[in-house]
Amino acid sequence: MRLSGRRSMTVRLTMLFALSSTVVLLLLGNLIAGSLERHFEEQDMEVLTGKLKLAQHALERVRSTVDLDVLPQHLDDSLVGHHGLELVVVAPEGQILFATSGAEFPQSLLESHVRVDSARPIVWTTKGNHPLRGISALARTGIKDAQPVVVAVATDISHHEHFMSSFRITLWSFVALAALLTGFLGWLAVRRGLAPLQAIRHEAAGITAHRLDSRLSADAVPVELAELVEALNEMLARLEDSFRRLSDFSSDIAHELRTPVTNLLTQTQVTLSKARASDEYCDVLASNAEELERLSRMIADMLFLARSDNDLVIPDREPLDLIDEVKGLFEFYEALAEEKSIVLTCSGSGVVSGDRLMLRRAISNLLSNALRHTPVGGRIAVHVDDTGDSVVKLSMENPGDSIAREHLPRLFDRFYRVDSSRQRLSEGAGLGLAITRSILRAHGGEAVIRSERGTTVCELNVPV
Amino acid sequence: MKILVVEDELKTGNFLKQGLLEAGFGVDLARDGDDGLHYALTDAYDLVVLDVMLPGIDGWAVLQGIRKSGKDMPVLFLSARDQVDDRVRGLELGADDYLVKPFAFSELLARVRTLLRRGGKTTESEFLRAANLELDLMRRRVSRSGKRIDLTAKEFALLELLLRRQGEVLPRSLIASQVWDMNFDSDTNVIEVAVRRLRAKMDDGFEPKLIRTVRGMGYVLEASECD
Repeated sequence: MRLSGRRSMTVRLTMLFALSSTVVLLLLGNLIAGSLERHFEEQDMEVLTGKLKLAQHALERVRSTVDLDVLPQHLDDSLVGHHGLELVVVAPEGQILFATSGAEFPQSLLESHVRVDSARPIVWTTKGNHPLRGISALARTGIKDAQPVVVAVATDISHHEHFMSSFRITLWSFVALAALLTGFLGWLAVRRGLAPLQAIRHEAAGITAHRLDSRLSADAVPVELAELVEALNEMLARLEDSFRRLSDFSSDIAHELRTPVTNLLTQTQVTLSKARASDEYCDVLASNAEELERLSRMIADMLFLARSDNDLVIPDREPLDLIDEVKGLFEFYEALAEEKSIVLTCSGSGVVSGDRLMLRRAISNLLSNALRHTPVGGRIAVHVDDTGDSVVKLSMENPGDSIAREHLPRLFDRFYRVDSSRQRLSEGAGLGLAITRSILRAHGGEAVIRSERGTTVCELNVPV
Repeated sequence: MKILVVEDELKTGNFLKQGLLEAGFGVDLARDGDDGLHYALTDAYDLVVLDVMLPGIDGWAVLQGIRKSGKDMPVLFLSARDQVDDRVRGLELGADDYLVKPFAFSELLARVRTLLRRGGKTTESEFLRAANLELDLMRRRVSRSGKRIDLTAKEFALLELLLRRQGEVLPRSLIASQVWDMNFDSDTNVIEVAVRRLRAKMDDGFEPKLIRTVRGMGYVLEASECD
């Protein structure tokens, strides 16, 4: 678990877990508390409306002012058995006709014009610190033409309040405990749930430059991680490929250099081993010069590739019609083509902005490659096509043995030869196509090669 | 013709000196920048071959020193790094040409001769001749012993180059550059084939043989019969 600035996933998930379960529990607690309270209120209201009815009934039986004297008796009777129930009857003039001993009503309840009906009871606290819930209503007496009186009834709800407050304490402590518990359980769950990540980390830690062929096992991980593992494996494949190419390149360089250097050394030392005629010395030196020229060309080519790998090859751009360059190259290779009775044709046109020398060299490499592989009497056709998609496509088609599919992606690699047993070609070191690709890349373009049914097509896509 | 070579690498310096001496030039060799600049300022040279990486003051400083003193002989600089910046910088400082190491001596020799010729006046004649070969520049015609020879445009250009620089060994890269404007090395034997075809047309059946292959160097057109 890392603490430096970055938050741990375990901690985050645990917090989220605890938080969400706490929210749910709080909502649930509120719901329960709310419905309990409503239930108590309904219970109270049942009692209050009953008593109110009784009181109204008793008042209806009052036919004269004389009957008012017996009213308290009647009302007391109706309240029998109900502890904590308070009742007050107020005449229209404000005179209290009846009141129980602990009756302490807020004024608002007793005024004839403000009525608190059964739908909206109000709650207040007496001086003796008793919470009361009460309602009021108008009641007509049996006395003719008399104004209605106000009847208010209230019940002591302290036992309900006690219950509710102890219930709340229990509820909140439970919620707090549950939050802690789910936090802990969540932490355990997250740790277990994230175990596959740990496993991947362990596997990945075991992969080194020498073991780039190993892959993370995709079957053992949950589906959610399968894509990640797949992406990592693809990355490994790419790395392995680049790494292999790089090490192939190094060993190729060594091999390519070793052969000519061995030749030079052997030839020179054999010649030096005894006195020879000057003709012989001339021969050896000339052959050395040829070999050295090839070496020096190879070094220059490798330097070019190394610079292009480091993005140091910057094209000196100017507008170029590719077909003009192709025609120039045709003139250059004319003699060679005629020797092999190969016909060179070109068609189309397309202007790009590019480095003249570089693009010529790129096309020249393709052309010399095509000349090498086209059989006597064949035809090399170049077509330049402005695709209109800000890319000019130059395709070069030549007959020749089809190149097997597995070789195609690597043909542009340095020193790559289809026939790996073949020793150094009489011409070229196998860097031509690699240089072509580097030049195209420096121009933001791409080189591709296709081969099927005895025809090979090289395509250069050059951005306009 | 006197050439100053400023080169610190022991073998390279010695061979450059020997090669240029044998090509008929007078040569002084300086081993570091300070000596080089001193030589260049005190003696009169027709050309300076200047290595860029030198102990003491570097090639750039030598070049600047030469130009500051008002001397305008051609300077050909040798660079170990094939960097565009290097080239641009050298040419901006007043160098006339450059070669990237490793280079072929024949290439250097050809460049040196080109630079030296640039200064002198070339009389533009209508005909170029060698032994019984005649090249008519105006009418674009070639004949040998009065017998007309048909050449393609590029063959004509190739023969013209060889004739103009009679006796000089021309490396393949120079031929490719001058005749076809191809300023890079082709990995094919295209120049060989082109020269062979030209030779078949203008040397076969005629005496003396004019075009000669110098193995490991290039081609030369010479009227002398002895080898």
